[in-house]
Amino acid sequence: MKFKKAASLVLAASLTVSGLAACSNGDKSNESTKDGVTTIEFWAAPNPTQQVYWKEIAEEFTKENPDIKVNVSPMKESPTSEAGIQSAIAGGSAPTMSENINRGFAAQLSESKALLPLDELEGWDEIKKNRNMEDTMKGWEFADGHQYVLPIYSNAMLFGWRLDVLKELGFNEPPKTYSEMLEVAKKLKEKYPDKYVWAKPDLADPTAWKRWFDFFMLYNAASDGNKFVEGTEFTGDKKAGEQVLGFVEELQKADALMTRQSKDPFETGLGIFTDIGPWTIPYWADKFPEMKLNETYALALPPVPDGMDTENVKTFADTKGLVVYASATKEQQKAAAEFIKWVYSNPENDLKWLEKTSLPPARDDLTTNDTFKEFFENNPELQPYAAAVPNAIPPMDNSKYNDIQTFIGQHAFNPVVKGEKDPKTAWKDMQEAIEGALK
Amino acid sequence: MSKNQGWLGWLFASPYLLYAIIFFLLPLVWSLFLSVTDWNLISPTYSFVGIDNYTAALKSQGVQSAFFVTFKFMAVFVPLVIAFSIIVALIVQGLPRFKGLFLIGFFLPYLASGVVSSLIVKGILSYNSPLNEFLRGFGIDINWLGSPFAALFVVALIIAWKFTGYYALILTSGFESISKDVYEAALIDGVTPWQRFWKITFPLLYPALFTVLILSIGVTFGIFTEVYQLTGGGPNFATNTWQMEIFTKAFSNLQAGYASAIAIIASIVTFIAIYIIRKLLELWGKRNGWT
Repeated sequence: MKFKKAASLVLAASLTVSGLAACSNGDKSNESTKDGVTTIEFWAAPNPTQQVYWKEIAEEFTKENPDIKVNVSPMKESPTSEAGIQSAIAGGSAPTMSENINRGFAAQLSESKALLPLDELEGWDEIKKNRNMEDTMKGWEFADGHQYVLPIYSNAMLFGWRLDVLKELGFNEPPKTYSEMLEVAKKLKEKYPDKYVWAKPDLADPTAWKRWFDFFMLYNAASDGNKFVEGTEFTGDKKAGEQVLGFVEELQKADALMTRQSKDPFETGLGIFTDIGPWTIPYWADKFPEMKLNETYALALPPVPDGMDTENVKTFADTKGLVVYASATKEQQKAAAEFIKWVYSNPENDLKWLEKTSLPPARDDLTTNDTFKEFFENNPELQPYAAAVPNAIPPMDNSKYNDIQTFIGQHAFNPVVKGEKDPKTAWKDMQEAIEGALK
Repeated sequence: MSKNQGWLGWLFASPYLLYAIIFFLLPLVWSLFLSVTDWNLISPTYSFVGIDNYTAALKSQGVQSAFFVTFKFMAVFVPLVIAFSIIVALIVQGLPRFKGLFLIGFFLPYLASGVVSSLIVKGILSYNSPLNEFLRGFGIDINWLGSPFAALFVVALIIAWKFTGYYALILTSGFESISKDVYEAALIDGVTPWQRFWKITFPLLYPALFTVLILSIGVTFGIFTEVYQLTGGGPNFATNTWQMEIFTKAFSNLQAGYASAIAIIASIVTFIAIYIIRKLLELWGKRNGWT
């Protein structure tokens, strides 16, 4: 009897909860459009500069388009922005659109039908044409032929060199090939045994995204931008891959790598080589004003294997973009298209973005459009980034990118950095693991 | 008890019952369902995969490491936190006044954000921090977060620091419940301070200590923030906890079904481990006549 009572209470409570939960699924269409005004929710990247930019842009847009209201709010990081988005989609509270989406994550979302193909938006071709991004967008086509992400910025990642230390060692410019770099390592250890060429804990960390800023910068350079994975096929360039791993092994043997957690290793001169993104420039201006381009540091393309062309070297493009979620109502989709069209039809908005974030807009005419000329003249540190955009390779668009990049670290890059594996075995083990994951 | 009183009891218990249904029962049922599917929570389609997620999880390096790492954490964290909290409780007991104030002070780390404390520790232990520069001056060079045992010890130490005040609070209430007459009688009998602690304080403190032991063992099954911030589960899975593994699979790899299977395995392991340890502790207490 007692059990019956308890069971009926549990059941009743469960039904009440289910009922309450069901109440929340109202008619989204009516919610999004009220009194002729369509409201779209926009999640901005969780950093103050991008939030300020989007809030200002949204206000200006609404002034000109009073029938569309754009609510800008920061993307939830719980504990990562990707996890926040996933939870929101699962919980039915995804925004209409968001920025800060990389290609790999977009591939995961699009495979789950969570994203709207942007090429199906009204006026998509016009958007691409107006922003002068038709060439850039070609590289953004996904495996199913659709385009899910509008790339907002493209950071061609460069390597920074401590020019002051290089000069002390007798080098007037950063090395361009592996043997030149190994020569620098040798001279550095002779003069400063306590310094390292590359001091970065991430080198020994298998976390997937960390491979973008070490392995892929070197691999893209060595393979001339070869695709690592195409669909379900592993297409990595074995020769280039082994060359990269062999080079890292040589650095490790020369005691030129340091993987211990350290504070500002490049700025303090503990390491003299590291990946640098354009976001570092304003950070240095604020925290390390002594870091001066072509005085204390120089920016360079990744080193390449001996004998390769050292001019048009490929690198990794840290690039993120804007997506529209499939859960948006038809009205919201239409309003989102209007908003995107408005933002990107005026290069002044990209200039404003550049001024606020220092992240190069992903457009074909960045170095030729007069709108940006003055900015780059006043910010010479960012010129190399703009110049490298045509040689920057975006991340893979595979939904299993997280597994694949974890395997690169776990089976190849990290053990070679730690001197635990030889390059050939490392590449073989990595390839087997990736092919297993792609099956 | 009249029929009305029975319903009154249900009424008063209903907020917690409702809470338990919403936050424990429903998620448990939901997890069980997810664990037999390949759903990623956001895809409109999914398939039932039977026990595939469970068999794959049991074979995976991540799950196997999480199993052993939890017990390694237990071996380091539990003695540390128990020792620290007994010391703190004893110190506070010996204070002539402001006991409450000092206890609040020790309790504060429990309220501190794990993210913030982890970042501070990361700074303190970095290669070029003043601490490491100082140690290197004496020829001591420790790769705190890069060597398996040191990394595990550092994480255990941070969590011990966080929980010490909380457990000291429980132990202090245990100390307070020991009658002063017992100590006075022992003093007359001429017992040494060592004997006094082991023969009087410890046995009478056992119920509070039992609670603290069970709570601290439970903590080792839920470690996440410190590991996520400091080591990411590395080096070589040396700090890969259950929560870290579940998070990685669910939110980095979008494998909610597989992650749910790991969560179910983790809860079974947690339940069995805590049950066995509790029984052993009870047996230990009974054998010594403490309970």
